[in-house]
Amino acid sequence: MALTDIKTLAQELSKEYNAPNPDLAKCGQYLSKLKIALIELQYLTHEGKHNNIEELTLARDVLEIGAQWSVRTKDIPSFERYMAQLQTYYNDYSELPTSPLKYNLIGLNLLCLLSQNRISDFHTALETIESQELLNNPAIQHPIKLEQSLMEGSYNRVWSSRADVPSKEYLFFIDILMDTIRNEIASCSEKAYSSLPLKDAGTLLFFTNMEDILNFAKERNWKVNPVEQKAYFHSDADERISIPANQIIKQTMFYARDMDRIV
Amino acid sequence: MSEAPRRSSRLNKNQEEDTKGKVKAVDQDVEMEESATTSTETPKEKVLGAKELEALAIADIKQHFVLFTKSAKTHEARFAIRALRSVSSLRKRLTVAVLARTIASSYGKDDEARKLLLGYLGSEALGSITPEDEVTVTKFETPEVDVYLHLLVMIYLLDQNQHEKGIELSNITVKVVQDLNRRSLDQLAAKVYFYYARFYEVTGRLAEIRPTLLNAQRTATLRRDDDTQSTLINLLLRNYFHYNLYDQADKLVSKTTFPENATNNQLARYMYYLGRIKAIQLDYTESHQSLLQAVRKAPQNNVTAGFQQEANKLLIIVQLLMGEIPERSLFRQPVLRKALIPYFQITQAVRVGDLNKFQETLAAHSATFHADKNYTLILRLRHNVIKTGIRMISLSYSRISLRDVCLKLHLDSEEDAEYIVAKSIRDGVIDATIDHEKGFMRSKENVDIYSTNEPQHAFHQRIAFCLKLHNDSVKAMRFPLKTVNQDAAEVEAARDQERTLVQEIAEADEDMDEDHDEL
Repeated sequence: MALTDIKTLAQELSKEYNAPNPDLAKCGQYLSKLKIALIELQYLTHEGKHNNIEELTLARDVLEIGAQWSVRTKDIPSFERYMAQLQTYYNDYSELPTSPLKYNLIGLNLLCLLSQNRISDFHTALETIESQELLNNPAIQHPIKLEQSLMEGSYNRVWSSRADVPSKEYLFFIDILMDTIRNEIASCSEKAYSSLPLKDAGTLLFFTNMEDILNFAKERNWKVNPVEQKAYFHSDADERISIPANQIIKQTMFYARDMDRIV
Repeated sequence: MSEAPRRSSRLNKNQEEDTKGKVKAVDQDVEMEESATTSTETPKEKVLGAKELEALAIADIKQHFVLFTKSAKTHEARFAIRALRSVSSLRKRLTVAVLARTIASSYGKDDEARKLLLGYLGSEALGSITPEDEVTVTKFETPEVDVYLHLLVMIYLLDQNQHEKGIELSNITVKVVQDLNRRSLDQLAAKVYFYYARFYEVTGRLAEIRPTLLNAQRTATLRRDDDTQSTLINLLLRNYFHYNLYDQADKLVSKTTFPENATNNQLARYMYYLGRIKAIQLDYTESHQSLLQAVRKAPQNNVTAGFQQEANKLLIIVQLLMGEIPERSLFRQPVLRKALIPYFQITQAVRVGDLNKFQETLAAHSATFHADKNYTLILRLRHNVIKTGIRMISLSYSRISLRDVCLKLHLDSEEDAEYIVAKSIRDGVIDATIDHEKGFMRSKENVDIYSTNEPQHAFHQRIAFCLKLHNDSVKAMRFPLKTVNQDAAEVEAARDQERTLVQEIAEADEDMDEDHDEL
């Protein structure tokens, strides 16, 4: 496929994608066609040297739309693939003009890592961002604040952060994150309370109707007392501390062997 | 924008100093014979004039030539190592004249290398060559000497800030080293790569040399060339760190093994880099261990102050993140005191669990923290501050309302406080329960730690450490081979003597007997 064909195809894609009601399936078709074309020109494998800024920008724009499209179609592995390919364009081609979508997508990537609880990857990704942007860019600040609240345990703030997302793509990941948080809160509550009124449990877990609470309680094996309307958590009092006999034998043998060597 | 280059140049200086220090301070190992080539000259220098100094420096370089040749012939790396160790003291005395005269007396008049090196030294060089230098040309057979001279000129160019020339020359030298492919060049090659990377770093073109370094690293690994391998791994890590590419750095670390026989200084650096990677990945225990090693292995003198400061800064943060408070004495050390002031204040805030003070310190020193690339790590401390605060509250109150917790910790709301306390209970920071209906937190009584497996665990760790230390020191012992042979020969000789003595005695006896018989 010649370069001009790719250009027209890319234009069609961006027109379709930016339309008020984009046909996502159609976008997907465009994208897979474009990807094949770009591979033929070695834009995705980076084997040849490419210096034509216009062409590079074109390839990058296609990938950016691809990344956003993956979020809309809720396809996380595909989103990660697009992001991995975009990294080269963001980091290694310094002559390329900065894309307006760059930080938005990086922020999305951070949120994506966070929602999968890949905290160490999250922090590694964070280090590659320039400190100026780190402090001032709302798209980056949002996931950072979110991570902080998560680490501290201020789940309230995570919940309220839904209201001020930088772009609507963020919501997809935040919704995933909410499920993770619910489980976090539940496991904290099991340790912190001996019993909890069901209604309060509902507020803590951001549930609004009783049915959801009961289902959730069932999932986590809580004992619900319907008369008192309370959930009881199993106490850890009956846990027994066993003597680590095997380990101690191993250690002692190890000492004996080494002492023998010294003497 | 203006922040970045300033910082890098400062760090570079640290690294530089670190290298200089390394050569001097470490490796006081089993060099028993002839160790006084460089040290005795220091007092003399003040008395002597410029001419004599020049002559002395040239003599030193010549002495190094002999060492390199010897090293190449005997396949003993330690001669070369010894010569390279005194490069740092030589470095201060390198002048155009010294270099030009040495070059003139080491190469034939029409030698390509001679023209090349003199060309890099500039027009002054030709003028300072005296006729006698050219008369007494002693050509050296080994290419080590040639590479060594290249290296000296590179160092000179670096000190004179002639970076462009330096890059050209280092490119040529790296090519020479790679083409020669001699095992006796290993130690020199490591140095050559170091300065090669240095030139590119000073000119801000580090990204360009990554493929070359990676290739060289692969070759060095295949040849089991420990010195070059360790230097290159560190250079690559430094390269990645320069661009904050921790992901790649981590991959490099996981795909390579750092040679066990690397010098202490390379090891110290490697440990520092490793510590940083692990800290970013939230593996604080591992990071703490690496950094501790880095601090301990680094030579403790003023020359390495930069490295010590950087390593200690990171160590403090990692310790804080692990929930430990660094020792007060650390902040009092003269080398570190000034550089660690912001970190000291952060430590104080974390220790007391005062969130306001923490935020204030963070705001006041944010530029420093950014420059040290530690800002994001310090941001993570926020929740440690809260944790410490909660722990303090839990220790001092047996029952406290959540509203008071919220006020004491300067949190946003009571609900927040409840979540945070619940999380600390789950994470094992405090041992308490929350009464949701009445809105208070009740601390449980302290458990006796001696009834748990904890002491056993700590005990095991210490014993294992001692045993490892013993085993390692046994492994590290080196016995001089020659004397063993000598001893054996001596014993043999003594035995011979004894044998002859016994024989003589026996013969004497026989004689006596015979005498007797005759009598």
